[in-house]
This record gives sequence, structure tokens and C-alpha cells, in this order.
Amino acid sequence: MRIGVFICHCGSNIEGTVDTATVAKASLDFPEVVYATDTMYACSEPGQDGIIQAIKDKNLTGVVVASCTPRMHEPTFRRAVERAGLNRYMFEMANIREHVSWIGKDREANTNKSVDLVRIAIEKLRRDAPLSPSKFSINKRVMVIGGGVAGIQAALDCADGGLQVVLVERESSIGGKMAKLDKTFPTVDCSSCILGPKMVDVAQHENITLHAYSEVDAIGGYVGNFQVQVKKKATYVDWTLCTGCGACMEKCPSKKNPDRFNEKIGPCTSINIPFPQAIPKKAVIDPTTCRQFVKGKCGVCAKVCPTGAIKYDMADEIVTEDVGAIVAATGYDLFDISKVTEYGGGRYPDVITGLQYERLLSASGPTGGHIKRPSDGKEPKNVVFIQCVGSRDKSLDRPYCSGFCCMYTAKQAILTKDHIPDSQSYVFYMDIRSPGKMYDEFTRRAMEEYGARYIRGRVAMVYPKDGKMIVRGADTLAGTQVEVEADLVVLAAGAEAAVGAPKLAEKLRISYDKYGFFMESHPKLKPVETNTAGVYLAGSCQGPKDIPQSVGQGSAAAAKVLALFSKDMLESDPQISRVDIKRCVGCGKCIITCPFKAIKEVEFRGQKKAEVIETVCQGCGLCTSTCPQGAIQLSHFTDNQILAEVNALCQS
Amino acid sequence: MSRLEELKTRIKEALPGLECVIGWQKGYDPLHNTPLFMRTDADVDKLEWGPLNVHNPAVYLPTFTGKKVGVVVKGCDSRSVVELLQENLINRDNVVIFGMPCTGVIDLSKVKARLAGAGVSAGTVTAVTDDGKTVSVTAGGQTTAMPLAEVRADKCGRCQFPNAVLADAYVGDPIAPAAPAAAADADLAALDAMSVPERMAFWRYHMERCIRCYACRNACPMCVCRDHCIAQSREPHWLTQDDTATEKLMFQVVHALHLAGRCTECGECQRACPMDIPVLALKKHLNRTIRDLFDYQAGVDPQAIPPLLQFKLEEDNIKERSW
Repeated sequence: MRIGVFICHCGSNIEGTVDTATVAKASLDFPEVVYATDTMYACSEPGQDGIIQAIKDKNLTGVVVASCTPRMHEPTFRRAVERAGLNRYMFEMANIREHVSWIGKDREANTNKSVDLVRIAIEKLRRDAPLSPSKFSINKRVMVIGGGVAGIQAALDCADGGLQVVLVERESSIGGKMAKLDKTFPTVDCSSCILGPKMVDVAQHENITLHAYSEVDAIGGYVGNFQVQVKKKATYVDWTLCTGCGACMEKCPSKKNPDRFNEKIGPCTSINIPFPQAIPKKAVIDPTTCRQFVKGKCGVCAKVCPTGAIKYDMADEIVTEDVGAIVAATGYDLFDISKVTEYGGGRYPDVITGLQYERLLSASGPTGGHIKRPSDGKEPKNVVFIQCVGSRDKSLDRPYCSGFCCMYTAKQAILTKDHIPDSQSYVFYMDIRSPGKMYDEFTRRAMEEYGARYIRGRVAMVYPKDGKMIVRGADTLAGTQVEVEADLVVLAAGAEAAVGAPKLAEKLRISYDKYGFFMESHPKLKPVETNTAGVYLAGSCQGPKDIPQSVGQGSAAAAKVLALFSKDMLESDPQISRVDIKRCVGCGKCIITCPFKAIKEVEFRGQKKAEVIETVCQGCGLCTSTCPQGAIQLSHFTDNQILAEVNALCQS
Repeated sequence: MSRLEELKTRIKEALPGLECVIGWQKGYDPLHNTPLFMRTDADVDKLEWGPLNVHNPAVYLPTFTGKKVGVVVKGCDSRSVVELLQENLINRDNVVIFGMPCTGVIDLSKVKARLAGAGVSAGTVTAVTDDGKTVSVTAGGQTTAMPLAEVRADKCGRCQFPNAVLADAYVGDPIAPAAPAAAADADLAALDAMSVPERMAFWRYHMERCIRCYACRNACPMCVCRDHCIAQSREPHWLTQDDTATEKLMFQVVHALHLAGRCTECGECQRACPMDIPVLALKKHLNRTIRDLFDYQAGVDPQAIPPLLQFKLEEDNIKERSW
């Protein structure tokens, strides 16, 4: 092998604390190295041209670039060596930026460490073999999981792009959290008026198949060829017959159930259509409260249904959908306010969440759009808003900012004044975070035009006294104690990962952070991609987001899917495990440890052997470290390569 | 009818449906028993039971793949059978397990030391008798009585499974395990007490004595790779053939790691070692770690999946996300 070594300055990023010329010179002493140089920016066009020229001039057969993390530029350099006629896997990268220059200031020590890392890369390269990807066909259907505004946008954009879309929604209607909102900031336009048309588009789009009241049960396969089992939960209503007339809801005798769509501040019937604009507008029976199920007799809805749609014996049904890509848009859930005991959420009826307040404001809500406090139905005059409940609070393990609460609180203060002109709003805040277009102007309007009193400080406690809620807190700007006699307290509950998000992430084989939000592939440059090919993210499942951000991500995820599906065949990564059938004793340990189910048992001349399913294998290497006799090896990361790297390090 | 006779009867009943039944017979002198492969009733009559049955017959089971065989087990041997079942290395339908309660087996090294102390050579043994508590060895014309508790294998001192954990035919009444002997884990305690350089020196000393015969590996019932062992492979090339303490220790470490969470501490590796190197300590140390981390013991529950042979996103006792 004829190896060329290129040591990148990365401007002063590396050269500042590493003597790259010395590293290049030292590299020349290593086996099979015929050329070594330092270069200003290896990733730049002249830098890449320099590598290509050297390959041609010096007849190089392998290249080492010592520069930044391979996550950044490995694909760049692979393409460069390929343009020069080499196999793209005859290339190794030593990370002397993140692993060396950025983390230490001792120039001599950094230079020595860089030499070690280059030597390691050379030893690995010497054992590299050319690899070539194989091609496989893809199924150009996409599944969107979650029918909130982000999922709706992703589904519509994919469908408009000509793709067949399967939209899976856990609730009986799409719309998500946005459907529960009364108005939206900073324009104060009606939420359902702007969301409604999009929901109708979903229902009417010929390319969209909607599975409402359904959940993803299991996911198999890989990019281009996923098999998703969708559990269609029993609704006890035949939706092909249900016309959404609502006759059943009028007659249902079980009327006092907490209405989940109304955030449990209003009652609903056991057979229910959550809201007038629901898509699909179909009824669902809740068997935990329905008298037919609980007591075994009732049957009123079955009697009144004009189309005979009621089916008490319905069971869950599993349908399998084959898709080529998946967009996760599962949104968020609200922080449980009862965890902050000093505020009395969950204990006092007049301490509610911001989303419950939205339902009180909404014309389709339980109070018909008149603000009435839950305890006695009276109109509140003094309304206190407390921000950052379950946000920016390390003691609750919620150190992150939920992002949208400052804005919706300002909106709710404005709407309170609109609804009750003689009311007074108080907002306890930590900082006002309003960095969007027209956002800061909006919060100023709440203060200046609508007279909301903003008090910078935390609330210590909320307690009831003579039919009022006493809110006691600090005004840190005035340096005084404040006590407000409130009629209603609204807590700006922070956003949390949706219930069950980690479980779905495991099915999707994507990562999630410690709070349960899904991990994007790169926080800046790949915000809607995941580290699992063919799985994309949209909306708050990745982290709290407001509506414009969620819609933007929905469209972005759709663009990624459309780009993926613009090809007819995909290339599989050849850096995968391979079984040496001669060494395999068929013990099957690799099969049970593989997290991707990428290894199957086959019979070869009457003996059990393991076989890797090329397209499923993700190259994680668990099988290779499990196999006792080393019969399964990860191409490009073989035991021999890793041993050579260890030897290079330990013997230097 | 003695229990041994009853066991023989049970084996004879089952023998027609089996390729063979593996047990023990008298060896080349009264002190040594040796494995027995029973194919006929006459073979079954040679079956022995007692403290001389030191071998673990489970080691032979994977070599009978596809054939139905029987195996006679002590409690410790039965755990190896269960572990083989857990790993699908043998098929439950193809193995018939015969068990009897075991009160311990001898450690030949300890017996030889006793005989040497009495001034006689172990090569002159003419008779061995035991009454369950005492082993009496006649050698060089004199009889030396040795309490079994003093010359039994170390593993018997900590045995919690005197009965087969899984058996198709069990003869006799199960006995309760004794409380572990005080010095049951003296080997680990001694190593724990050493500083790291002392421990390294300890292993270096023993590895320099190792003759690289691989008896430890060949006696291990869980070492199923056989001809494909990493120790002889060039692709991948984990070990060189250099006769150095480093390479030999590397093999022992690889062996121990391959057994982590799988080893039932049957002690065959150490018993088979012609140089009396305490290689079991390495496996015991890893087993202790596995027990602390995963609350798991190998070869007890045929349905359990060994902790290192499964993929779990987050382990109960390894808090990856709170680091």
C-alpha cells in the first residue's frame, strides 16, 4: 500500500495548538507512508484538489486525513478519494481537532498525541479493504406518526408531492394540541379557523390514508422498506357507518365523564365526538365509563343511532402498512402541575393550566367561550398567571425553557381583558422570552395596551381564603413581597415529552434525550433527521416548539422524504457485519444480542449458521463483541483493525 | 435397593431410546474415576457415584448435537446443562438428565498432599472408601482417613445446589444446601487484598508457569468453539503463539470474559490445570460483578437469557443516562 497523510491546520483551530508540520514529518516514518504534508483547510476545494493531485502524482492507494471529527467531513473526503479513482473506504480520518487541539493547550503534548492518532489511523488503513455498497429498491410510501399541526403539515406536503401518505393519530381526531387552542399568538387569530382547513385537506386528500384512534405497535425493516404494525384501537362504532350526527351523544345517559379534549375541566358523554370540527368526525365509546360495558346494560346509543353503527363487540385490529420512510410528529404533553405542591394545582379547582384556560376561552369549550372559574362558575376579575411552572427548574428536573409559555401567557392576558373588560391580569415571570417575529411587540402590547401587570419574581405559595386564591410571591425588581387576591390562577405549565415517547423511540430505533425528546441527527445542520436512516422528526417531539416552528419542521421533514424518494434505488452502507461461515459454530448468540434483528439463523450443509441481513444491519458491532470465536466481523472495523490500532497506541 | 442401583435401573429403562448416557466409572486406580459412556446394560453396571466423580459430564453434551443422549449430573453439573440449554447449545428434547443428591467431591490435589504428609505416594493407592463424611485412602499398606470437609473441592464448600436444578429422573430425596464454608471465597478475598502491582505480579508468576496446554479450555463445558477458538485464529488474530506471560494472561482474560455471566463455577478449568494455576478466580471475580450488576446467576433458570447475551436499551443497575 502507498499511503498519503494530510494534516489539516483548520485555520488556527488545529495549528494554534498542534505543530502540524512536525506531525506530517513524523508520519513519514510510519509503515507504507510515501507522502505526508500539512494543509491549510483539507476540506476546502484547494485542499481536496491537493489530496486528489497527490493520489495521482504519488500513486497513492490509501489516504489518511488528520483534521476534525469524521461526523463532519468523512463523507467529503471519501468522495474526494473516490474522485481520484480510489475506493472510498481506502480512507481513514484522525480527529486531531475535537480530540486534541480544542481540549488542550500544551503544544508539544498535542503534537505528540496527534502523531499517535495518525499512527493509529495508518495502522487501521493498512488493513482496510475496498468495499462497495449494494443497491436495493424502495417503497415510496411514507408514514407520519402524529396528527398535530406538524404531522398534518408533513402529511400534506408529502401528499402534494405525489407520495402516498399514511397518517397515524392516537386520538379519535387529528388536530393535536393546536385544535385545543382558542387563539394563536402573535396575531390573535382563531386557532381552529386556520387549522380547520388543513384538517379538512387531510381528510379529502386522495393520497392520504388516515388511521385515527390508532397507535404504532411494532416497526420492522429498514429505510425504504419498513413494515409498521398499526393497532387500530376498538372504537365500538363502525366508522364506515357513523355519520357524525351526534344523536348518540345527546341521548347517552353517562354524561359526567371528564372530557379529555377539554383538559378535564368539562364533562362529556361516554360516547363522544371530541369537538365540532373533528376529523374524522366519528364517535368513540369509552368502555371504562360506558354503562353498556360497566353495568352490562344500556344500549341507548345503539337504539338511537340512525345508521346502526354501534358495535359493542368490536376488538382492536392490527393492520400492517409497508412504507419507505417515517416521520415522527408525536408532539408533547404538559408538565403535571400537581408536582409543584405549593401552587396547589390539582388540589384547588381554581388553579388551572394554560391549556385548560384555552378551553375556557374557546367558544367550543365547556363554558361556550365565557370565562367562568371551575369552582363556582363565577366570572373572575383578578387573574394571576404564573410562568415557568415545570420549566427552567432544576429542582423539578426540568431545566429547559419550554419556549412558548411567555407568548401564550401574554396572549391569554390580552384575551382576558377582551373577554372581561374590568378584569386585571397579573403575570409572575422570570424573564420574558419573546425572540420571534412580532413576538416582543406582542408582549409589550399585553403590558401597555391591555394593562397586564408583569411582576418579575417567583411565587412562593398559593392558598385559598374566603373564596379567593391568595398568591404570595416576590417582586424582585421592587425588592418587596407581593400578595395578590386572585379569582383564578393560571399556571403556564411547561412542555414535556409526550407520554410513551421513549417507547416509540425504541420502536423507531432512534435516540431520545433524558427528558424523552427525540434526538435529531445534528442540532444545527440536521434538525429533522435522526441517526436512523429513513426516520425524520417534526414538531415538539424533538423539543418544545411553537406553531410556526412546528409547521416549518413538518415541511422540512416532508422535503427530506421527497428527496429520499427522488431516487428509485438506495445504496446500503457496506460497513456492516459479515459472518465467516467456516468459523461460525451456530451458537446464535449474535442473533439474540442484535438490537436490529439483522441476523438470522440459516442451515448450511445440515449445520446451523448465522447470516447477516445486509440492509437491516446498522454496523453497531454488538454481534462482533458477542461472538466468542470472532466469526462475525464488522467490515471496516474488524477485530484485526482494532487490535492493530491498540497495538499502535500501546507500542508507541 | 441402594440409590445407585435404583439410578442404574432408571438409566437402563431409558437407554433404548438414547445414543448413550454419560456418567462415571472406576479409572486406572482406585483414587481416580473417569467418564463413562453407557451404551449397553453392561456399561450401566460400571456406573459409580461418590466423591471421586470429579468430572463435569456436561462438557460432552454439545458434541452430540442432533442425537438424543442422557447425562448423569451432580448439582453443579446440572447448572452447566441448564446454561447450555439457556444458550440453545443443546436441545431440551435431546437430553435426558439423571440426578442424585451430592455431598461433595474430592480435590485430588488436597488428597495427594494429605498422602504426601503421611509419607506415602498417591501412585500406590490400593483402595478408597467413603461413608459420606470421611474418605479413607489405603496406600503403601497404610490407611489414611480424611474428613471430606477438609479434602473436598473448594466449590463444594460454597455449593448452594447439591441437587440437580433440572432433572428428568431424580433418585433419592433432595438435600438442603449447607451454609457456605467460611473460607469458600478465600481465593477472591486474597486477591482483593492485594494491591494492583501485587495482583499483577501474582498473575505474572502463575502465567510464567502456564504451559499453554489449553486443558482449562477443553474441560470447560461452556467453551463450545473448540476448533474455532480465538486462541488459534489468525483472522482475527487476537493472540500470537509467543510463549510469554502476556500472551498467556491475554488468553485467560479472553476466556474469562467469554464466560462472564455464563460460567457456573464448576471449577473444571482449575481442576484440569496440570500446573495448579488458580484460573477459576478470574471467572469468579467476573461472576461476582455480574451478580452485583445484573442480580443474575448462570445456569439456574432454563428460561432466563444471560444478561450479556441480550440487548436492553437501559439496564436497571447501570444508569447510563444520569452520568
